[in-house]
Amino acid sequence: MTVNVRSLYNLNMTRDVKEDKLRSRVRDISHFYREKGRMPSFSEIGELAGFQSKNAVFKLVNKLEQRNFIGRDEKGRLIPGSIASSLRTLGTVEAGFPSPAEEELADTLSLDQLLIQNPDATFLLKVSGDSMSEAGILPGDMVLVDKGQPPKSGDIVIAEVDGEWTMKYLKKRGESVTLIPANPKYKPIKPKEELKIAGVVTAVVRKYR
Amino acid sequence: MDNQPLTIHSWPRAILHLDADAFFASCEQAVHPELRGKPVITGKERGIVAAASYEAKARGVKRGMSLYEVKKVCPDIVILPSDYETYSLFSLRMFEILRRFSPDVEEYSIDEAFVDLTGLRRSYHGPYGMIAQKMQETVVTELGITVSVGVSLSKVLAKIGSRHNKPRGLTIIPGRDIHIYLKELPIEKVWGIGPNTSAFLRKFGITTALEYARKDEKFIEKYLSKPYREIWHELNGSSVYPVVTETKSSYQSISKTKTFTPPSKDETFVFAQLSKNLENACIKARRHKLAATRLVVCLRKHDYQSDGVDIKLNRPTAYPVDLFGPLREGFNHIYQPDSFYRQTGVVLAGLLPETGIQCFLFDDPVRMEKMSRVYRAVDQLSQNFGKHIIQHAASLPTKLQAQHEGERGDVPQRATDLFKGENKRQRLGLPVLHMKV
Repeated sequence: MTVNVRSLYNLNMTRDVKEDKLRSRVRDISHFYREKGRMPSFSEIGELAGFQSKNAVFKLVNKLEQRNFIGRDEKGRLIPGSIASSLRTLGTVEAGFPSPAEEELADTLSLDQLLIQNPDATFLLKVSGDSMSEAGILPGDMVLVDKGQPPKSGDIVIAEVDGEWTMKYLKKRGESVTLIPANPKYKPIKPKEELKIAGVVTAVVRKYR
Repeated sequence: MDNQPLTIHSWPRAILHLDADAFFASCEQAVHPELRGKPVITGKERGIVAAASYEAKARGVKRGMSLYEVKKVCPDIVILPSDYETYSLFSLRMFEILRRFSPDVEEYSIDEAFVDLTGLRRSYHGPYGMIAQKMQETVVTELGITVSVGVSLSKVLAKIGSRHNKPRGLTIIPGRDIHIYLKELPIEKVWGIGPNTSAFLRKFGITTALEYARKDEKFIEKYLSKPYREIWHELNGSSVYPVVTETKSSYQSISKTKTFTPPSKDETFVFAQLSKNLENACIKARRHKLAATRLVVCLRKHDYQSDGVDIKLNRPTAYPVDLFGPLREGFNHIYQPDSFYRQTGVVLAGLLPETGIQCFLFDDPVRMEKMSRVYRAVDQLSQNFGKHIIQHAASLPTKLQAQHEGERGDVPQRATDLFKGENKRQRLGLPVLHMKV
């Protein structure tokens, strides 16, 4: 199936041109509102847009209403919507047009989003021991613990062994489970009874300044 | 007759009620795992039990008991100050977990929620019981606290279900089983029916919820008002109260009261406490874009005797600068020198939206504009640096003394065990696990 590329291009072009036209009309009405301190009448809108027919004005007004640029009061008269707010120099976000700068930032991750996968199940924990120092987790560091993720072999977990909590690598091989430190001072732990895991360490945070 | 179901409909609606078990105490046991299985209570700063863990309840500890009584009944009790910051975080997370299952979640209180499950059997390819169990298990796994759940045809019935088998209960009441659960339930245990109405119903021989539900509608209409008719419908499996998802839209009044320990007869200090309450109430009013038309001032003496005065304001306002005049007048009216006071309170009443305020005849619009800018700056600074970074001078004497001296002045561990970058006022919005690793 061949697609007429040119007609597609024209369609996109037309859409952009339409948006530009609408944008300039919004600017004109907004200008009027700020200069005169009132909304233009239908015939005044016609003059601003260069329309001869009242029908064309109606169509424009409906479109503007749909996009919340303008509204109507109880009596049906036009009142300002988002056009009343001041226009920023970067772009008209209130008017519904994304500014070019903001469009580029739409997909950025915040530090919070990067570090926390499940915000409902993530907790903070201050590290006091050094059993994981060679993994880069030092006493005084803050670790993020996720209770919502099932622990996998190789994860750093917070586990309870013999009534004490400890932070170690989890190593599962079939049925056997071993807790492995990251510090030669400590020995691996092979829990005799069932291991209770409080959560998986997903990140460590250390602030210097 | 008694074994006849109340309704032939199985699930016209499915409403779930979730009630956290011993919520505050459970949160503490979740972040202090060494307290699991032990008798724990919160409320140390109040001097009474706010919440008791199930282990404490089993030893006879009840909510509202004084700490002195508790120590007699349970000498090894662990008494903790309330950590509302942590409890709020747990509460918000609990509601968010519920929202993964259904968008219709009503935050009924800090530890209770209603969820509308109607129609979800299709998406989950399973019965409502299965969905409820999944919700319950997710909360237990991700938060480390237990909750009790009831699912039925109406809110009133769902609440009966969640209460039925605490803790960690899961009670599903379909239409054909309602009568079984209501048969032994005393009428005063029904949500919305209090001791007075129960006593009234008793005169008609109605002592259980089932007897109430089985009365015909004409009887209910004749002798009881609308709320009780609604409850009757709900008990019969006909849902009247919808699950309301919107949060509180507005306030009728905002009150701020605070107790201090020990009681004081220093007039400046007592007025400072009152002034701080006023500032707090105004901050809340401004945050919700409201202004007050009435001011209520209360003082409570060490013997719990209270005095109060209600002042009508000549203009709606949420600015302390406008309210210090009436506050001082009200204070002078009720304050008795040489009396020891333990608590002060302020109520901003007759709240109106701030946009609806017109200028009155004797107003100074320039001053009003100036004050509006001042408080906007204050609110902005508070947002950046913490509440009370700027205070009115009248409130400053409160800094001379801890709110509660001595044992009652104990603060939750979260407030003192800070991470680098946190300070007394501002902390990260995640609960901290207090474990030594």
